[in-house]
Amino acid sequence: MPKPARPRQRRRGKGAGSSSAVFPVILLLATAGAVTAAVLAPDEARDWVLGAVITAWGCVAVVVATASYLLRRARRQAAARDSELGAAKDNWKLQGAEVARLVSVSLPGVAREVKSGAGADAALARVVEPSDPQLRQALHIFAGELSEAVRRAGAAETELQQMRDELARGKTELQRLTDETLPAAVALLRDGSSANTVLTKFDWPQNPSLHRAADSFIRELAYSERRSAAAQAASAKALSRVQAKTVSMLADLRAMQDRHGEEVLGDLLRLDHSTSQLGLMTDRLALLMGGRSSRVWNKPIVMESILRGSVGRIAAYRRVRLHSSSKTAIAGFAAEGVMHLLAELMDNAANFSPPIDEVHVYVEERSAGLVITIEDSGLKMSDAAMRRAQEAVSGQVTDLASLQGTRLGLAVVGRLADKYGISVNYRPSSRGGTGVVVLLPPQLVAQQREPVVELPRPARDVPETPASVEEAEPARPAPAPPIASDPVKAAPSADVPRSRDAATENGLPVRAPGRTMAAAEQARRKPAPAKPSAEQLEERQARDVGSQFGAFHRARRARDPLGESADSPEDGHQTTAD
Amino acid sequence: MRKPVDVGDPDRLYMVTGGRSTADDSFDLVTLIVSENEPSAGMQSEHVRILELCRHPTALVEISAELKLPVTVTRILVGDLHDMGKVSARHPRAAESVASLPETALLQEVLDGLRNL
Repeated sequence: MPKPARPRQRRRGKGAGSSSAVFPVILLLATAGAVTAAVLAPDEARDWVLGAVITAWGCVAVVVATASYLLRRARRQAAARDSELGAAKDNWKLQGAEVARLVSVSLPGVAREVKSGAGADAALARVVEPSDPQLRQALHIFAGELSEAVRRAGAAETELQQMRDELARGKTELQRLTDETLPAAVALLRDGSSANTVLTKFDWPQNPSLHRAADSFIRELAYSERRSAAAQAASAKALSRVQAKTVSMLADLRAMQDRHGEEVLGDLLRLDHSTSQLGLMTDRLALLMGGRSSRVWNKPIVMESILRGSVGRIAAYRRVRLHSSSKTAIAGFAAEGVMHLLAELMDNAANFSPPIDEVHVYVEERSAGLVITIEDSGLKMSDAAMRRAQEAVSGQVTDLASLQGTRLGLAVVGRLADKYGISVNYRPSSRGGTGVVVLLPPQLVAQQREPVVELPRPARDVPETPASVEEAEPARPAPAPPIASDPVKAAPSADVPRSRDAATENGLPVRAPGRTMAAAEQARRKPAPAKPSAEQLEERQARDVGSQFGAFHRARRARDPLGESADSPEDGHQTTAD
Repeated sequence: MRKPVDVGDPDRLYMVTGGRSTADDSFDLVTLIVSENEPSAGMQSEHVRILELCRHPTALVEISAELKLPVTVTRILVGDLHDMGKVSARHPRAAESVASLPETALLQEVLDGLRNL
């Protein structure tokens, strides 16, 4: 820029003007001095002085001319250097300005253009490129790198977004899988569906690893469910055979006890007791394995039989003292369950009390139901043990996984209590041991049969009928009129409400829910003997000679093994065949 | 053929006898039993039924048949009642000897007479 250089040039010009004016002044002064000297000089020396003055003036003029020339040359050189320096400065300033413009205008402009999506070339075309090639190159490199970086950042952004989406999707899927799908699938598997059914049924996650995990989880679970179900089913099946065998053994033993005399009765009773205990163990396992009880009673069982039936199944039956004068009966459908439950509790009480102490069982009738208290005088249970026992008998935990060791009895009690709505409570006993209070709800108690107590005989006149319908049927003519219209008289058949529909109008037996066909047939048939009026009953009470002789004869026959085996070949066959 | 499983009673004979399997020999099959008392509350049901049955003199074997229990078990139960003084027993030995002996002699005579014909 020329402007800042101007004052210096002016100053220089001024200096040069003053210095160049010095020389003529010096010459004029020298001339004046020479003239003065020539004038003042004496005449005799005037010529000499004149010569000397002219010579001196000439020397001065030469010196002045030389000095002037040298000065002028030096000035020229200085001016050239000055202008060179100015050009360099100008150049430097120009470059500074270009750099400044590059930094403050071009680079941001290019960056803006590139960021807004233009290519590097397009962005460069829109800004003024610097004239300096290096700067231009720097700008080009910058633009190229920037556009590359922007492209990469864009790609990374897209990728990140994709990742985020994927993550969010995976999260949602995982959420749904854990919250909805898996619980439903597990429930379905527990119900016995196969893995493939379950896998086709639900909306499984799209995420491949999640899908694979869920898939293998479901398959593994299905496999273990299947295995445990198969194990349970196999055990229940096997146990049901053992149960059937036990029941038939008990029946055989009972028949043998009738048939043989005193000399083997003790042994038979011992065997009977062992078999009964075996039956309890088998039933216990069968119930845990989801099987059924070995026996089903189709008639109400009186409390005395219930208690004796349950005590008879435990090892220490002689230590149990029953205190019951209750005449109530337990409905047939629940009788076996109640017996099993009581047997387990008594077994527990007997096992956890000293072997010389007795276990007392009390029965009370209350409006809330039948209360059975089992008290032992063993050691007091600790609070924790009592809590565990209470938890076990509450029936809330029915999973096999909760069983501990061989202590299965209370778990069975829990299941039975849950099934029949029985409440079982542990409490410390006033005798020092532990008491268990069992409350049987009223719906398990069979209808009261007060009037029937006086009429046991008519029902007993046909004792063989229920044993086997097939063997009784051909021998006995069907009763003449079917007595569907006579429900009240049929009361002795124990099931007062059920016998009402024992037969259709055409005389066909009707099976009520929960009863066997044999029982229905029996109920239909029974009214003939049950029908007799009061005088007939009194006649029976008088015990006619015929029935006395019949009873005598039956007893004789029963004691005679030959007569027995000839009389009922089925029994003999069964005994040998099994 | 298997019997239906749901007939009979759940109580076993060793529960009826309280674990005993032998009876003393004071009763035989034809001993007549007569009850002395009415059944009282809280008694074993078999005892109650024996007392009801034996309002009239009843032979032991008849009781056994009515209760559908083996004779030994019946003897144990009747023995219990006898020890408690609830029943009394009458041994019909005299009647038996009176009834049987002349009859065989008479028959023998008839037989001889027939042979001599």
